[in-house]
Amino acid sequence: MFDLVGFGVGGWGAALLKAALTTFALSVAGFLSGAALGALAAFARLSGDRFARGAAFAYSALFRGVPDLLTIYLLYFGGSVGLTVIGGWFGAQGFVGLPAFATGVVALAVISGAYQAEVYRGAFLAIHRGELDAARAYAMSGLTMLRRIVAPQVLRYAIPGLGNVWQLVLKDSALVSVIGLVELMREAQVGAGSTREPFVFFCSAAALYLAIAMITGSLFRHVERRSLRGVRTA
Amino acid sequence: MDIAFLADVFRQLMKGAPLTLELAGTSVALGLVLALILAITLQGGRPVLVWPIRGYVTAFRGTPLLVQIFLIYYGLGQFRSSLQTLGLWGLFREPYWCAILALTLNTAAYGTEIIRGGLQSVPFGQIEAARACGMSRSLVYRRVILPIALRQALPAYGNEIILMIKGTSLTSIVTLLEITGIAQQIISQTYRAVEVFACAGAIYLAMNFIITHLLGALEHRLSAHLRAAPEFESSVAVEGGLH
Amino acid sequence: MTEAPTIDRDTGVNGAGRAAVVVQDLHKSYGALEVLKGVSLQARQGDVVSILGSSGSGKSTMLRCLNLLETPDSGVIAIGDETLRFAKNRSGRVALPDRRQVERLRRSTGMVFQSFNLWSHMTILENVIEAPIHVLKRPRAECIAEAEALLAKVGIADRRHHYPAHLSGGQQQRAAIARALAMQPKVLLFDEPTSSLDPELVGEVLRVMRSLAEEGRTMLVVTHEMAFARDVSSHVLFLHQGKVDEEGAPVEVFRNPKSTRLRQFLSTTR
Repeated sequence: MFDLVGFGVGGWGAALLKAALTTFALSVAGFLSGAALGALAAFARLSGDRFARGAAFAYSALFRGVPDLLTIYLLYFGGSVGLTVIGGWFGAQGFVGLPAFATGVVALAVISGAYQAEVYRGAFLAIHRGELDAARAYAMSGLTMLRRIVAPQVLRYAIPGLGNVWQLVLKDSALVSVIGLVELMREAQVGAGSTREPFVFFCSAAALYLAIAMITGSLFRHVERRSLRGVRTA
Repeated sequence: MDIAFLADVFRQLMKGAPLTLELAGTSVALGLVLALILAITLQGGRPVLVWPIRGYVTAFRGTPLLVQIFLIYYGLGQFRSSLQTLGLWGLFREPYWCAILALTLNTAAYGTEIIRGGLQSVPFGQIEAARACGMSRSLVYRRVILPIALRQALPAYGNEIILMIKGTSLTSIVTLLEITGIAQQIISQTYRAVEVFACAGAIYLAMNFIITHLLGALEHRLSAHLRAAPEFESSVAVEGGLH
Repeated sequence: MTEAPTIDRDTGVNGAGRAAVVVQDLHKSYGALEVLKGVSLQARQGDVVSILGSSGSGKSTMLRCLNLLETPDSGVIAIGDETLRFAKNRSGRVALPDRRQVERLRRSTGMVFQSFNLWSHMTILENVIEAPIHVLKRPRAECIAEAEALLAKVGIADRRHHYPAHLSGGQQQRAAIARALAMQPKVLLFDEPTSSLDPELVGEVLRVMRSLAEEGRTMLVVTHEMAFARDVSSHVLFLHQGKVDEEGAPVEVFRNPKSTRLRQFLSTTR
């Protein structure tokens, strides 16, 4: 039953692996873009400006509270409408869909950014006030303090939370299949429909997701252990 | 701002709210029962039971919910004949029951980990005191271990309930017309994604808000033993003074 | 085939005064470490036995064997009407006693722990009525009435609707004593009841224990409180490295200790 996903002739193994690579690339791109968004939102949330704080809070609450599938629909259809209008100016006929991969990356960035903002905020608040006072007392400029004292510690405290958000992004990448991107989920669907063996294909897809999750998970744990060098824990 | 359109969209979306709540509520309830059984079994420590449970928990926490839904909805169709002989095909042909099964198995996997954490947080001395009074194993669980464990697990489990409500949106992909399903229909007909997203988002956020507050109130009621002591003496004094 | 400990209608060895507790030749090892190397004791009804010894002497382990929070490897334990015999079977493993027999044994003993172990999610009153209602199956109104009387007796009736976290250590321990008394046990077991208390709170707990002794309760007390052991006990046991090094009436044991180790122990803890 499972030689369908093997690598021989008529075997889907290669196609699934290639799609898994797309899934991985999509997730990495979404996660890293989300890191930038999340850092920005965390910064705004911690700033003195009331408007910035409010906007950042609204962003984080909105995209953590609304189902991720709806966010994907918003970005794809909403963006496509805009693109269609622009395309019309250039003479294109009919519906212009957004490129699926890019839209997927943006969607995962927006969603994971909302979660990462919370992680960075919590990590920053965990830094001992005294260390920042010491930096100021030694006349460190704001930028230097950020670069040498704040950022390294935020990263260290944030790693466990970021590990969780990464797993979330990896699983959410499967939702991008609804806008037509051929990543692992879609490829499995295609294979299932083509061979009428859905159980085989979705089990294989599940196994591949699990493999990526476990490998990257242990990577995160390794980084976490290394980041805790010199720190006494309970 | 097309108020009439927004109102109409809102009205249409709310028709899906009962199904959303039904899917979430049923799967959370069933998942909680399953999670309790599995977590307590894990505490028992018998390897022949522990390894399958660990495998299940890892599989369902490590793979996307969508894959799990497809696996059950489409995948079980591959075993149609065997299910027909068992008389279960009628059940598993329906997207509703496939969705409930997938959601339940998913939330139970997370729930098992949450409750297991709660069980391990029960101070061992209090368990010993219960045993020293001659309580049977089930009595110790019922009166001491579970009350303390579930109180500890409540915040994390509340989070899980919110995640389940969001999870129901995936069932739209297997034709169920809950809120997201209806939203997707409206968007593909009118292409007014922003307005529909705003309405649907507002409904989900309102649900989350209400549930978060209900859980907060429950947490408050159950954690009297963790707060500062109330002023019993002063209230008694006041009462005495009023007579 | 493992041999389970047998039920015996034995009522004790000592003819003079009914024996409430008989322990014979108890052995207990944790892996390679032998903690109890053949401990025996007897207590008649109304006796107060103080068990002394330095840490590692096995005194807590022995006490915890009496209500089977620890399972001995071999020996005999008889409390009230229950007798349990323990022995290593042919494959070298210890047969565990029947669960219901264990529960019956625990119903006739009440234990007071060093760290109180009150159930944190219940009020003091609920703590005291919990076991009588759910284990002894007595009616609720009766249990509440008795609990209130017991809490008044130990002096914390006004705190009965508070949670354990809101009470001082001394109050919590007195509540724990009331909880043990509510089961109407034949024997009270105290496992270093005052060792976790601030010095100024120790007195209130010892006063309660003393009044229980004066009532004629059978008590086995593992303690470091020498004054209590000397003034309140009917006899004293001194454990050293898992064996009973010396035992006897408190006056003799404290004034003329025969063993050098006991003499050393007394001089360091006076």
